[in-house]
Amino acid sequence: MDIAFIAQIFPKLLAGLPLTLLLAVLSLLGGGLIALGLSGLRASSWIGARVADFYVYIFRGTPLLIQIFLIYYGLAQFPAVRHSVLWPLLREPYVCAVLALMLNDGAYTSEILRGGLRAVSTGAIEAARVSGMTRLTMLRRIVLPLAFRQALPAYGAEITSMVKATSLASVVTLMEITGIARAEVSETYRAIEIFLCAAAIYLVLVTVIARAVDWLEQHLSPYRRPTGARSLA
Amino acid sequence: MKPITVRLTDIRKSFGGQEVLRGVDLAARDGDVIAIIGASGSGKSTLLRCIPLLEIPDQGEVSVGDAQIRIRDSGHRFSRAERQTVRRLRGQLGFVFQSFNLWPHMTALQNVMEVPLHVQGRPRAECREEAEAMLAKVGLADKFDAWPAHLSGGQQQRVAIARALAMRPRALLFDEPTSALDPELVGEVLRVIRALAEEGRTMLIVTHEMTFAREVSNQAIYLQDGRVEEQGPPEQVFLDPQSERCRRFVGMSRGEG
Ligand SMILES: Nc1ncnc2c1ncn2[C@@H]1O[C@H](COP(=O)(O)OP(=O)(O)OP(=O)(O)O)[C@@H](O)[C@H]1O
Ligand SMILES: [Mg+2]
Repeated sequence: MDIAFIAQIFPKLLAGLPLTLLLAVLSLLGGGLIALGLSGLRASSWIGARVADFYVYIFRGTPLLIQIFLIYYGLAQFPAVRHSVLWPLLREPYVCAVLALMLNDGAYTSEILRGGLRAVSTGAIEAARVSGMTRLTMLRRIVLPLAFRQALPAYGAEITSMVKATSLASVVTLMEITGIARAEVSETYRAIEIFLCAAAIYLVLVTVIARAVDWLEQHLSPYRRPTGARSLA
Repeated sequence: MKPITVRLTDIRKSFGGQEVLRGVDLAARDGDVIAIIGASGSGKSTLLRCIPLLEIPDQGEVSVGDAQIRIRDSGHRFSRAERQTVRRLRGQLGFVFQSFNLWPHMTALQNVMEVPLHVQGRPRAECREEAEAMLAKVGLADKFDAWPAHLSGGQQQRVAIARALAMRPRALLFDEPTSALDPELVGEVLRVIRALAEEGRTMLIVTHEMTFAREVSNQAIYLQDGRVEEQGPPEQVFLDPQSERCRRFVGMSRGEG
């Protein structure tokens, strides 16, 4: 391996890190809102629940890459879209990538949220109800904190998988880490070094996130540890 | 006579066509300790859960302190004002569940402080002081910061009792408070409830602990098929009931115990 070459390629790839993180953060934020919307829809009515189920079915059942292609190449096929006020936005590969990532993340996150909510025991809810709490207080103090703690490990996995999924944005010309790596490879033909460097950056990112989520879980749910854990550790 | 704290009038309730409560009346005066007994499936839990409207009766009237709710038919939808009344009614009751139902993400102290602080809006320092006093009262002065998952069943139930007390309720409702406990932990919880009775608290207790029920109550109710079959002082209901079915029930329980 050529250390000098690696030392030279690393900073170039790292220049794509901000875009990678931005894509991940925006799609997680958007996806989170979509997930909340879906869970509201689910609670609203039978029809609402079926619509939410269908949404989740479609977005979890098809490859993210195809979803990105459909939004990037597909939307332009509709004259209505091309003539809409949103077209200058929807023409941007950046917007299309974020849109696809967030729609996809919303589907996964809504299932994670659903699992978390289902795990809140009816006993805890009844104890809240019988104490005279309003629905809002109950949601804020009991239901969401418990659902969040329950869902945290699965959501941590979703965060890391979204960070990795941002690399697909390179196929619609975005110059995040993977996009830069592909460009460098086509110039230098040194695929192994460059892609290994890119992989290393993702690996570090994912490790840091996983650790942070672990820490948060320990911090929020110390009661999940058996009593003796502290002395054993 | 002391004022009536909890009153149920002609409570009826069905689950999917099965009539579980067929017109139950009940009045607890200030300081009363009412034991509710009956065979499994006779409607004891349903009756007790109707008081804080955890179960909505199909028909009847529930009043607790100054809050009163009247339900005329089973399709009843609560108006905004009624929902507020329901919360006010619940705020005057402390409910202790068979399975404790502590909030697992809060310590013992946080569990006890939660309602005074976040529902009743009392000052934090006062809530804390009172919560500590309540936990000390149920014998858990050394467990303020313990998580429910790290407590024994008996300890969890005592936290649940402290939580109910911290609401400053007019009446305490117990639904088989010791049925989920290992036999060796039953005593510690019954002792706490007995002490509360001696303080003059108003309580309604559903229980299968016949000796305890007889000793602690000043009134007993025997439910059968959703009706009050026998009612009176504990000496009568437990030792010399008028009703043949009640006689058989308490006789059987004595035989077992
Ligand atoms: N939520 C519900 N849905 C349907 N049926 C119910 C429900 N709750 C209670 N029942 C039925 O109502 C009847 C009375 O139940 P309840 O729990 O009040 O009896 P109980 O006297 O408390 O019995 P136990 O001593 O076993 O606790 C039972 O037949 C039960 O199956
Ligand atoms: Mg019961």
